[in-house]
Amino acid sequence: MRITEAIIVMLYLLFMIGIGLYFYKRARSSSSDYYTAGSNINTFVGAFAIAAAVASSSSLMGAVGSGVTLGLPYFFAYAFGAIGILPFAMFLISGQVRRAGVKTMPDFFDQRFGRSVQILSAIIVVLAMTFYMVPQLTASGLIGSYVLGIDYIWAVIILGLGFTIYAALGGMWAITYTDLFQGAIMLLGVMVLAMFILFDHSGIFTLLNDALAVDPNFGDVTQPWMAYFGLFIAFLWFGIISPSVVMRNFASRDAKTARRSSMWGTLIYLLLFLSGMVVAMAGASLGIADQLDNADMIFVSVIEHYLPPIVGGIMLAGLLASIMSSADAMLLAVSAGVAYDIYKKNINKDASERLITLLSLIVMLVASVAGILIAINPPQLIAIMVGWVGGFLLSSFGIPFVLGIWWKRANKQGAFAGMLGGAAVFLILVSLQILPTNAEPIIAAPVSLILTVGVSLMTAPPSREIQDQVDRYHTHIEAEVKAKAAVTQPEGYGYDTDR
Amino acid sequence: MTQRSKFKDPGFILAIVVLLYSAFVWIWWPHETYVAGVALTAWLMLAGIILWFMLAVVYVFWIEHVEESVKEETERRGPHENN
Repeated sequence: MRITEAIIVMLYLLFMIGIGLYFYKRARSSSSDYYTAGSNINTFVGAFAIAAAVASSSSLMGAVGSGVTLGLPYFFAYAFGAIGILPFAMFLISGQVRRAGVKTMPDFFDQRFGRSVQILSAIIVVLAMTFYMVPQLTASGLIGSYVLGIDYIWAVIILGLGFTIYAALGGMWAITYTDLFQGAIMLLGVMVLAMFILFDHSGIFTLLNDALAVDPNFGDVTQPWMAYFGLFIAFLWFGIISPSVVMRNFASRDAKTARRSSMWGTLIYLLLFLSGMVVAMAGASLGIADQLDNADMIFVSVIEHYLPPIVGGIMLAGLLASIMSSADAMLLAVSAGVAYDIYKKNINKDASERLITLLSLIVMLVASVAGILIAINPPQLIAIMVGWVGGFLLSSFGIPFVLGIWWKRANKQGAFAGMLGGAAVFLILVSLQILPTNAEPIIAAPVSLILTVGVSLMTAPPSREIQDQVDRYHTHIEAEVKAKAAVTQPEGYGYDTDR
Repeated sequence: MTQRSKFKDPGFILAIVVLLYSAFVWIWWPHETYVAGVALTAWLMLAGIILWFMLAVVYVFWIEHVEESVKEETERRGPHENN
């Protein structure tokens, strides 16, 4: 057991749970507060929150681990897609989805395409987000076992349950406010690590040369083109198709704040990845990739090699922070999918807010236990597992979602066929293992596109009312607060100013 | 209600820029040309991540400008429409 690191990490986690408890009462007051923090988060908090939600454990440990193992171009393919997450989502869907006035992604599908598409999307969200817990739990297990000196399995169980209790207590209020600390610690920690490394190697070019001297293939493209491209599109689309990221967008107090949060969140993410590049180079220069049981441990090895224990402890707390915020946002998406999108909207419309919140807590526990059971024996490297989740979501509802916003002619039948067809093709390709790693969406997403467009054109167009609603998504008027009213009273659709 | 063409939307235009730069990198894919010991394709992707942030900044200010003009236009038309 590493005493200094363990004390810092434990103090940190206790602090975060304290914040969860503080927001417990507030979160239980309504489901709007629980899922989207009452839509009242400001730019500063929102920027760190959205960056921390996007920067999962994969962003740090996974990208560095896979970059050292598969070469620097692989790291950049990861970053090329990942840094584009927030801008690309902002360009194509964020404002429009806010103007739709919905609370979750399946809510949007209900408004635009109807109940059957909503239920299918909720099922996909629950499956994908539950599996997305696995890489987060794998990373937390690796760090926990290293810091605490306990078995990996116990580390996964203890930390996994800890995350769940925290998310279950506070909902989006707690998650968003702790993300402020988590985002700050993560950013500061990685930047400090990068500075230590650069000082040790006397600059970036010497560091790169040191890495290439130890591993001459570090700068090479080592995988087939499809592996890089598949990873890129899965990440680029992640902000569009990830319910956990989209729900963050709803938490901002207005559209202007949401956009500015995304912009600053992109800068935070960019700085994280530039620091991560330095860490990957340092990892390669150590020449230890072949000696580790799990390549994702390279990041921890770099921390151990370059940082004194007390700074290393803060850095490991930062890593756990990124995992915790991502895992909690996922748990919230899963619980919203079951409790709100499936149960309240389809099974018991009269369910009270308290019952829905209670059901959310139970769902979070079940999803967490399912994730823990798979993470005990993780099926792949962290980066690849995250790539699978992104690829699955892109292949299933990426196309119906974007076309639902931008193409009035897209209808219920087309969206349902595109969603189901894309998801099925993706799962078949993953199970057959006939393509390079993470290349599945290159085939599955176009299948979804062809089905969505083809079936929509072969069947009746949506009603006039729905088509008018699509126009309203693009009005550039700040009206998210009154968006619900606008759905029923389009002529009275005005704007309200930013607060 | 003010309605603009979806194809003039800053988000739509900037998404096209993202797709064009991405297409440039993925179609060219200069993986056998090396700069400082690293494949050129990696450096193009590094330039891309900086470009993504710059596009995010452009979008935020552009859309705020658009919203401001829409608001002014709506306020200007308001009294006449009520008459």
